[in-house]
Amino acid sequence: METQPVIYTDQVSKAASNTTYTPTSQDFSFKKDNTIEIDNNFASQSYWKEVILRYISKPSAMIGLFFIIAITIMAIIGPGMNDFSYSAQNLLQKNFAPRIPGFENLGIFNGSETISTTTGFKTINYYAEQGLNDIYYWFGSDNFGRDIWTRTWSGARVSLIIAVAAAIIDMLIGMSYGLISGYFGGKVDIIMQRILEIANGIPRLVIVTLLLLVLKPGMVTIVIALMLTEWMSMSRIARAEMLKLKEEEFVLASRTLGAGSFFIIFKEILPNIIGPIITQVMFSIPTAIFTEAFLSFVGLGIPVPQCSLGSLISEGFNSFTTHPYQIIPPIIVMALLMLSFNLTADGLREALDPKLKER
Amino acid sequence: MKKYILKRLITAFFTLLVILLVLFILMHLMPGSPFNDEKLNSDQRAALYAKYGLDQPIVVQFFRYVANMLHGDFGVSYNISKNTPIAQLIQSRLPISIQIGGCAVALGAVVGLLLGLLAAFKHDTIWDTLATIISVIGVSVPSYVFALALSYQLGFKWGLFPMLYRADHAFDSAVMPSIALSMFTMASIARFTRSEMLEVLGSEYMLLAESKGLSGSSLIFKHALRNALIPIITVLAPLIVDLMTGSLVVEKIFAIPGVGSLLVNAIQSNDYNVVIALSFIYSAMYILIMLVVDILYGIVDPRIRLAKEG
Amino acid sequence: MKRRILALIMASVMTLSLAGCGGYNQSGSQAPAAGSESASESTEASASAASASSDLNVMLETPVQSLDPQQATDGTSFEVIADFTDGLMQMDSDGQAVNALAESYELSDDGLTYTFHIRDDANWSNGTPVTAADFVFGWQRAVDPEVASEYAYMLSDIGQIKNAAEIIAGEKDKSELGVTAVDDKTLKVELNVPVSYFLSLMYFPTFYPVNEEFFNTCPDTYGTSPETTLSNGAFVLDTYEPAATAIHLTKSEDYYDAEKVQLSGINYQVIQDSQQALMSYQAGDLDMTLVNGEQVDQVKDDPAFKAVGAGYLWYVSPNMDSVAELNNLNIRKALTMAIDRDSITTGVLKDGSAPTYTAVPMDFAAGPDGSDFSADQEKFSDVCKFDAEAAADYWSKGLEELGIESLELDMIVDADDAPQKVAQVLKEQWETTLPGFTVNLVIEPKKQRVQDMQDGNFQLGLTRWGPDYADPMTYLGMWVTDNSNNYGLWSNSEYDSIIAECTTGDLATDAEARWNRLYDAEKIVMDDAVIFPLYTQCNAEMVNTNVSGIDFHPVALNRVYKSAKKN
Repeated sequence: METQPVIYTDQVSKAASNTTYTPTSQDFSFKKDNTIEIDNNFASQSYWKEVILRYISKPSAMIGLFFIIAITIMAIIGPGMNDFSYSAQNLLQKNFAPRIPGFENLGIFNGSETISTTTGFKTINYYAEQGLNDIYYWFGSDNFGRDIWTRTWSGARVSLIIAVAAAIIDMLIGMSYGLISGYFGGKVDIIMQRILEIANGIPRLVIVTLLLLVLKPGMVTIVIALMLTEWMSMSRIARAEMLKLKEEEFVLASRTLGAGSFFIIFKEILPNIIGPIITQVMFSIPTAIFTEAFLSFVGLGIPVPQCSLGSLISEGFNSFTTHPYQIIPPIIVMALLMLSFNLTADGLREALDPKLKER
Repeated sequence: MKKYILKRLITAFFTLLVILLVLFILMHLMPGSPFNDEKLNSDQRAALYAKYGLDQPIVVQFFRYVANMLHGDFGVSYNISKNTPIAQLIQSRLPISIQIGGCAVALGAVVGLLLGLLAAFKHDTIWDTLATIISVIGVSVPSYVFALALSYQLGFKWGLFPMLYRADHAFDSAVMPSIALSMFTMASIARFTRSEMLEVLGSEYMLLAESKGLSGSSLIFKHALRNALIPIITVLAPLIVDLMTGSLVVEKIFAIPGVGSLLVNAIQSNDYNVVIALSFIYSAMYILIMLVVDILYGIVDPRIRLAKEG
Repeated sequence: MKRRILALIMASVMTLSLAGCGGYNQSGSQAPAAGSESASESTEASASAASASSDLNVMLETPVQSLDPQQATDGTSFEVIADFTDGLMQMDSDGQAVNALAESYELSDDGLTYTFHIRDDANWSNGTPVTAADFVFGWQRAVDPEVASEYAYMLSDIGQIKNAAEIIAGEKDKSELGVTAVDDKTLKVELNVPVSYFLSLMYFPTFYPVNEEFFNTCPDTYGTSPETTLSNGAFVLDTYEPAATAIHLTKSEDYYDAEKVQLSGINYQVIQDSQQALMSYQAGDLDMTLVNGEQVDQVKDDPAFKAVGAGYLWYVSPNMDSVAELNNLNIRKALTMAIDRDSITTGVLKDGSAPTYTAVPMDFAAGPDGSDFSADQEKFSDVCKFDAEAAADYWSKGLEELGIESLELDMIVDADDAPQKVAQVLKEQWETTLPGFTVNLVIEPKKQRVQDMQDGNFQLGLTRWGPDYADPMTYLGMWVTDNSNNYGLWSNSEYDSIIAECTTGDLATDAEARWNRLYDAEKIVMDDAVIFPLYTQCNAEMVNTNVSGIDFHPVALNRVYKSAKKN
């Protein structure tokens, strides 16, 4: 009956010298944590590298990443690229159609627009009418005479900040909730899931509007409102992953080695589910952008004269049939943002989860 | 099984009760009251509060409401339609919302399924990307913009469908709103179908089936699709509830007398009873549908030990 | 096995639903062939085809809130109620009160007792005649604390009907109201004090009759369906449900003045999106629709386009009580003079709204000589006009008096389209004209904004007031000490005494002198910059050129269709 652990070389030699070995209590005690040899080489070398390689090899994912970066850069530098500010009004220069130097000679973006009136079509060029030869509103001006270019990019900035902040906070809250609920199971899980069910059962619109009414309107309030509704799906995913993983051998091993619950949840399991979590964050960013747009439409968005993509769209919506150029830039930027976040998330999911590739 | 369903029903009942209480508390946190009108002075407001029992402590109001509700009395509207019983207000609107929402779900599910299948079978090709782009564009443009564009093109320019809801042409009137509403479902289902299918197609039993010589449609429909469908249904279920109540924007544009627009108006005018009743119906539908899905799920897949989970 | 069954069920559900939608598509392709008129007669095919041609199709912005005349408070409800109910008086096309159900009336010499004689040919749509008792019942409902009518003050504070205030306060029984049915057709009304504009109250729906016998057949559901509504007016309600998006009324053949009514019916459609409304108008589905400011570019050359006075005065109310800086007159003057009202109305609103420099809006109250009370917009130009330099002067003087360099204030604004637009312009104008001034816009839903103002929980508030009756008092009465609408808690004893003199004092019977005293009162308000008036609201409407004879009024009933005609 050979019971000696092979790695304890000094004892092996001892055992060899004495023909009969009597096990001591020391033989059954655990080794200290710091001497457990984790095979870092195999795990770290290939996994993330492979993920990146897999990601890069997917063109749609790269396109998505490119647009996210491009729009982020424009959101930072875009508003400073001309002399207009997002809030300065010029009521004499309102509803000017887009006019871009260079293009104007080609007959497009020359500042004239065709309005479909109830009495027929009418082509106007306010620049020419007012003799403004050196004024260029690249995306046109809105009905207060504000530059749509500047507003679009500052709107993109606000929307990105709101969405990313909301996504990250909801990740932290939702993830912790789901992990804790899944890990402890039993009564804890039942109670936490009932709370979730109740929170889920109340229409989001009701929660969000009430919150926006109670708190002072502004960016922080919107982030909180978005966070409150988004954390639930995150927690569900985290819980499902936790249920899958908590019976795995490595968790069992860690527990046997005396690790505390906190350690197991956040140090052992979390790194293993970071893939699905990041993917979910990437998916929840466009959802947050979209929800913010919806709030703007209901009149609960970012307070005027500040703007977000959503509030720009709902402002432009009012002149959709009159001056369609006012709604097009924010819509395109928003669509591109949503598309690229989705593509990135898709690419990331597949890169992180090679199982999907096994076909 | 029966015991399980009974247990779930009892839990659902208490969950609904708690939701109702939470709604009550939320309503009272809401700034403003139903009677903050420029033309009302404080005496009149006090009289109105007393008339509707809003001057009572919230606990009293809550139990009174629950007691009335058990008799089928959801109270009256304060603002939207003064003194109209809520039941009367909702009964003609709910079917319209359900009809349009149901049509949108069906449309979205079918188109989404097809898109998702296309993307999965032509994985990593241009078709895959195209399907993704179509489904994402579907959710990228806010539904109100999409609805108005549809209305402009199909309704105004081509005159195919009525631009405004008409009770005598309920079916034609439902077409454009359903399309506008179905976009979100379509995109979610397409995305989910794609990943489920990829997983199923990559699984061992598919490999086995393939190696046993099965091929073509039999392989796809008998094995792959069937296994992918079930999780898709679980995603679809909450979407159904969302669509029935969440169609407010589209309802506003097409002048549809449904419950979504009612909810928004009610929230904005602090019409407590309408908000509570509609939210409650929403919660009840949500919990019911989740319950049905869970039970179906259990029947289909005995590996899920229902009793233990619930 | 079970699994297969489920899959089968799912598949068939999918197919069915697909087929269902396909079915709509098929019927949809036949849709354009169907007529574009009445949207509501799903069951009554008889009514649709023939008579529909001269039905007037009207767009409503908001749904009707109540068809109970004593419960209704909003313009939409009033308009629809007035379509099927007549009061003692009605408005002629100039807004003057003329006889309706009353054939004649007498006023006692002391101005305290009105005696109305009701027409013999006035009948309810169920055949019973309209009697004085119907008015007594309706008016008693209006003051009944159990009904808790929001417009009860129209009978007490404004109409000064005997005992009304006491009944509302619960001190007397409603049977003691100073309204009695002398006989079936004679109604006697007793007032506390002479009220010069009393007749013009009689077309206000709160004063409409309600048939007691009919009411008691459906006390809880009165006015919630065509079956629970009784008509005595030009039209009869035939399609309606609570908060409906489509309402239909048909011409009443029993109406005493039926031969004058030329429309076969009115078809209301609630459309909350103005672009959809304009498209429907262009497609011929609507004869009348509202357009918003952005759409004016699309319609301004159209002969059908017109601006219609809506009566509302929009103004900024400064909280002089709790904000020390706003208690400074120079600061207030600076604020009001820094506003370029012209650019707000022509630049942003574009709906025909008129810049207003008086505390009483234009075109709703005609004086003894028939001219508009606020026709002269220049009369306070020394304290209220756009003058950036003067504003900056007042501003620096005010800052000096207060010993501060800069000022930051919040302005609460309704979360609606027009107020938000106006507020953005105000912010920009104030901040560019007045150095060191910062305004933060706080956007709130209307109910909350009103509550904040009622609670005094605001610094600047953008608000509006619609006239209840055609007399300047409906505005000037607000600024007396402790009036609940005096949000800024301004108080001036001289002003209070002038207003008292004009309502209940000696001047109440001398129209000319009263008019001049009201000007004195208005001058105090303007000199003290109690409010910063902005504009008198107008609505931009499209009224199809083949429609004529619709009366538009800024007070009480915004649109009256009795003599309207559609070719």
